[in-house]
Amino acid sequence: MNADFVTVLWKEWKEIVLERSTGSTGSFRPLILIAVFGIFVPLRMGPERFFSTAGLLFPTFFSTIVITTVIADSFAGERERHTLETLLASRLSDRSILFGKIAACMAYGWLISISCILAGAVTVNIVNWHGQILMFHDAASWLLLLLGPPLLGGAVAAAGVLVSLHSTTVRQAQQTLSVAIAVVFIGAIFGSSMLPMEWKTWFARILVTWSQAELVLAAAGVLLAIDLALLAAGMARFQRARLVLD
Amino acid sequence: MAELAIRALGLTRAFTTVRALDDLNIDVPAGSVFGFLGPNGAGKTTTIRLLLGLIEPTSGSAHVLGFDTRTQGAEIRARTGALLEHSGLYERLSAEDNLRFYGRVAHMPKAQLDQRIQELLTHLGLWDRRKEAVVKWSRGMKQKLAIARPLLHRPGLVFLDEPTAGLDPVAAASLRDDLAALATRQGATIFLTTHNMAEAEKLCSLVAVIRQGKLLAVGSPAGLRSRGGGQRTEIAGRGFSDAMLAALRQQADVSQALVENGRLVLVLKDGAGVAPFISLIVREGGEVQEVRSGQGSLEDVFLTLMEEEK
Repeated sequence: MNADFVTVLWKEWKEIVLERSTGSTGSFRPLILIAVFGIFVPLRMGPERFFSTAGLLFPTFFSTIVITTVIADSFAGERERHTLETLLASRLSDRSILFGKIAACMAYGWLISISCILAGAVTVNIVNWHGQILMFHDAASWLLLLLGPPLLGGAVAAAGVLVSLHSTTVRQAQQTLSVAIAVVFIGAIFGSSMLPMEWKTWFARILVTWSQAELVLAAAGVLLAIDLALLAAGMARFQRARLVLD
Repeated sequence: MAELAIRALGLTRAFTTVRALDDLNIDVPAGSVFGFLGPNGAGKTTTIRLLLGLIEPTSGSAHVLGFDTRTQGAEIRARTGALLEHSGLYERLSAEDNLRFYGRVAHMPKAQLDQRIQELLTHLGLWDRRKEAVVKWSRGMKQKLAIARPLLHRPGLVFLDEPTAGLDPVAAASLRDDLAALATRQGATIFLTTHNMAEAEKLCSLVAVIRQGKLLAVGSPAGLRSRGGGQRTEIAGRGFSDAMLAALRQQADVSQALVENGRLVLVLKDGAGVAPFISLIVREGGEVQEVRSGQGSLEDVFLTLMEEEK
């Protein structure tokens, strides 16, 4: 299982990187992302906002957008390019194929977001240099930095695999996934505003007693549960016969 | 009895509206090159999917290398190689990386994998371009690489689904030569589906003919030729009308009658003389200039079987 997982991860990683380093903009494409979100945006934010928990939410969500664009390709792309059946006819187990693909997409999203954060940290330090290195200074920021991209990215990647498994084309998978994410976010915003006032008050009373670090940990726990549920759903829907005949 | 690589007993697969495979019974001896012949939609690809354990049969059973396809698909896939309907190549990757991926999937040790990649790519004349992305290659080169892939880990059984389909005659002939050489050298059982009769005659020691999911005949190419092909007679001349063809087809000794490249082709049952049919042609208003007779080819057998089943 481990060797097969690493093999699938290796192949997926090569494909993701090669796909994103071809064409007229070529290997500059990831660099353009890092230049915009790792230099330009942190410059506009300034040190106070950049080195804060709220400031870290931006690169965390940014990593999920990157994952959305690559995960849609995972199965729909193989189906579109007629490589899926050959992959399924190999000795690879269902789990190694599924987890290898998810892990490669998560790793790519995580790498891009970490690169943006590192570039941002260097940029903000250079522009605001007063003889002392500026850095994230509270536990909540570090927790968000460590747990945010993998857990949120994991949820998006697992949901993306579910969509991609049964999409005919990459475009269809990308559109379905984008709509699903938009529905979840808009639903969460409108849903929370429509809650009865006594519920909101009860919830707010609990939240104000928690520290930022505790809030991040609680959110991480919820995300972990969502990740596991989506992974279980992905495993249940990964059926070779159905994939071959789709 | 020779050891069997594949045994299918009453293998049947039905989809919602069609029976893609209907009561297939075949034995494929280990070490043979087995040709599975049939027109498009005959059930060839479904058979391979069933034998690889990718889909389950509706009824019947099959054993591949001693493993049950219903319950031991993973064991079968670990011991076989398959070139399916499409080449299955990752075109963004290089040829070397494509082979390296499937070599790693087969758990080949690195040194052995490196050596095998070099051996196969050199044999197929692709070694110098191994670092190039496959997307830049010609179709013939891609198909050669696609054939190298299932042979990489020296499996005991290789499934090849129409390996020369879509290639120009020169590339197809070259690929057939490579395939014959590789099969001989490796000594694996090869299950080859094709609708190219010349290919089947050249490569296969045993062939089966399938149409609309039903097995029509099975045997060696020579055996099938003598059994069903009969005598092929080509008649050059003029005035070969549809009425004449219909009249010829009604004759008991005529297996097949058709006009091919302006010539009337008759496939007669063994022992039948051609003279009565020449008289019939003349009676029907035809003009005979030249008559040539010879043993029917596998293609004639195939076409006869297709005609009989219509």
